[in-house]
Amino acid sequence: MAQTFEPNLIGFLCNWCSYAAADLAGSNKLEVPANLATIRVMCSSRVDPIFILNAYLRGIDGVIIAGCHPGDCHYQTGNYYARRRFALLSKILKTFNLDPHRFRLSWISASEGQRFSQVTKEFAESIQKAGPNPLRKKPFID
Amino acid sequence: MSRIGLFLCECGPNIAEAIDLDKIAEFINKENKVAGIERHRLLCSEEGKKFLAESIKQNQFDHIVIAACSPKQHESTFMEVLSQAGLNPYLLQLVNIREQCAWMTPDKGLATKKALRLIRAAINRVRFHSKLHEKEIEANPDVVVIGAGMTGIETALSLAQQGRTVYLIDKDKLGGMLKNLKRLFPGMLDPQRLLQEKIAEFNNQTQIKVFEDSQVKEILGFFGNFIVTIINKEKEISLKAGSIVLGIGAQEFVPEGMDQFGYGLKNVYTALQFEKEGLTKIPDESKALAIIHCVGREKLGYCSKFCCVNSMKLAHLIKEKRPDIKVIQFYQELCLPGKEYDKFYRETREKGIEFIRFDKIGVGKNGNQLELKYGSGDGTEKHLNVDIVILATGLIPNPETKDFAQMLNIAVDDYGFFKEEHIKLGPVSTLTDGIFIAGTCQGPKDIKESILQAKAASGRILSALIPGRKLPIEAKASEISDSLCMGCGICVQVCAYGAVSIDERKHISVVNEVLCRGCGNCAASCPSGAASHRHFTNQQLYYEAREILR
Repeated sequence: MAQTFEPNLIGFLCNWCSYAAADLAGSNKLEVPANLATIRVMCSSRVDPIFILNAYLRGIDGVIIAGCHPGDCHYQTGNYYARRRFALLSKILKTFNLDPHRFRLSWISASEGQRFSQVTKEFAESIQKAGPNPLRKKPFID
Repeated sequence: MSRIGLFLCECGPNIAEAIDLDKIAEFINKENKVAGIERHRLLCSEEGKKFLAESIKQNQFDHIVIAACSPKQHESTFMEVLSQAGLNPYLLQLVNIREQCAWMTPDKGLATKKALRLIRAAINRVRFHSKLHEKEIEANPDVVVIGAGMTGIETALSLAQQGRTVYLIDKDKLGGMLKNLKRLFPGMLDPQRLLQEKIAEFNNQTQIKVFEDSQVKEILGFFGNFIVTIINKEKEISLKAGSIVLGIGAQEFVPEGMDQFGYGLKNVYTALQFEKEGLTKIPDESKALAIIHCVGREKLGYCSKFCCVNSMKLAHLIKEKRPDIKVIQFYQELCLPGKEYDKFYRETREKGIEFIRFDKIGVGKNGNQLELKYGSGDGTEKHLNVDIVILATGLIPNPETKDFAQMLNIAVDDYGFFKEEHIKLGPVSTLTDGIFIAGTCQGPKDIKESILQAKAASGRILSALIPGRKLPIEAKASEISDSLCMGCGICVQVCAYGAVSIDERKHISVVNEVLCRGCGNCAASCPSGAASHRHFTNQQLYYEAREILR
């Protein structure tokens, strides 16, 4: 079972930086884990922590949120809000005995296709090691 | 039940070779969620667009999913096709199966699986897309320019040459900093003549209305429709404009309290004070004059970049008037940017001006003279008696800067100057739409650079506010539900653009759609679910994610 485990990953990418970086990774034919499906949002600050909790409780193995580098946000300060919400959420997850390592926040600019490929590959590997989300077999909510 | 049409684009061999589209069509067909699946070789070609439009009409699809390239490539192309086919363009969801699937997944089986996952998510999402309309508002093409220095004058002239009505406001008289200057570097132009020429140009431009000795009392409104209230000779005047340019300039840093430079002693001037008054009052018996560079730079934390060249200009002026006086420049680093200033520096040296590099310096009194004690890097202290000392200080923000920043919801940087929207991509625009900054109020710069910014700001306004044309508003803006909002004001705090405010009467938040740029931060922060981000609503994202989570 452990060998055949293929993690299921979801990514929320900001339209201006990270989504463009993912496009660039594709254009340069850089490999990105096939089990990562992405959702485009206008800004990383659009990602409501509820989306992440929802994903987790539905059994996702890993969530990655990516936005512009600090200071480069297309909407001035959106990524700082994302960072703060993420930090708070990580703490809450620990309190509930959920594994905060299944979530990652990363800054990837529009020109960093290489970095996008690298970060997502690394993330997929770490989730592969961590094993499936325990809630996967028996979803918490439906 | 909506009739969703799914279009699969082969993108030549790009998608067709990397993803098994037949298999995808087969799977989607089985699920019975779409009304029709069409496949095309190249959907963005003229023929492909025609095919798309006709297919939408024939099959009476009401929501469209297109699996093709990145939305950054052709989302707008396909939205246009939808409009032509009589469908609201926002009823489209584009699935990126080229860049973010076909091209990044070498294994065909895995790529097909991923594409299927993404397409399912889009089908699940598109059901909740609603018709959005790109609104437009009436906009006033007139411009208010605050500050009538070189920046303000240049902005007003550029705008008036294109027939715009400009209200040029200054708390003082026309001319700003220029009024105090005797010459301009590096060409040693006479600034008063330049000013006269510019003011003469005003006379040909009846569209420029000048308000001297006027204070700005209040600015209300938003891009396209500002109302600026000024007080002119104790009379209130309301000016209507679509856009505002701030060119309120800066002021010279005066090194008060920095005793080592001897400021306050007789014959110690700042550069501007010397040019204004000191130059005409050089005592006859004077033999030597020192100019100390970079005074206060460490305290201010930045280089004002014009003061080195300005000090050389002063040396030229002094030599012109009194060739017998010895002029010595004490510097730490010389800042000579651009292609003209290096030449100017050489010309200055050729005039016999001495340059001494110091690592520490102090100014004291010695009888009738001033005594300089300085070290030049070799560890010994040297002494020099001079008659006059000029302290070359930089620029600091005008005290009004922070008032305007507060009034207009624009940012100031760490030093108190106005902060531009983006250092490279938006050097003259600000956080607030329709408010532009130019000249030294944005940071220290020379006149050439100020004029460049003035032209840039007027260019931005000329292209954004066109007489007779309405101003388009972001359709993907936020909206706040009257009935769900409890008026906590969190959205007001997170909005970087001041687009959300509390309606005092109803005690709930309201969105100004003109100012909203559609980031969705308010939607993510709203505890009661009242704020929603159009085209990226919780429902849409939830159902898109739900399919991915399966």
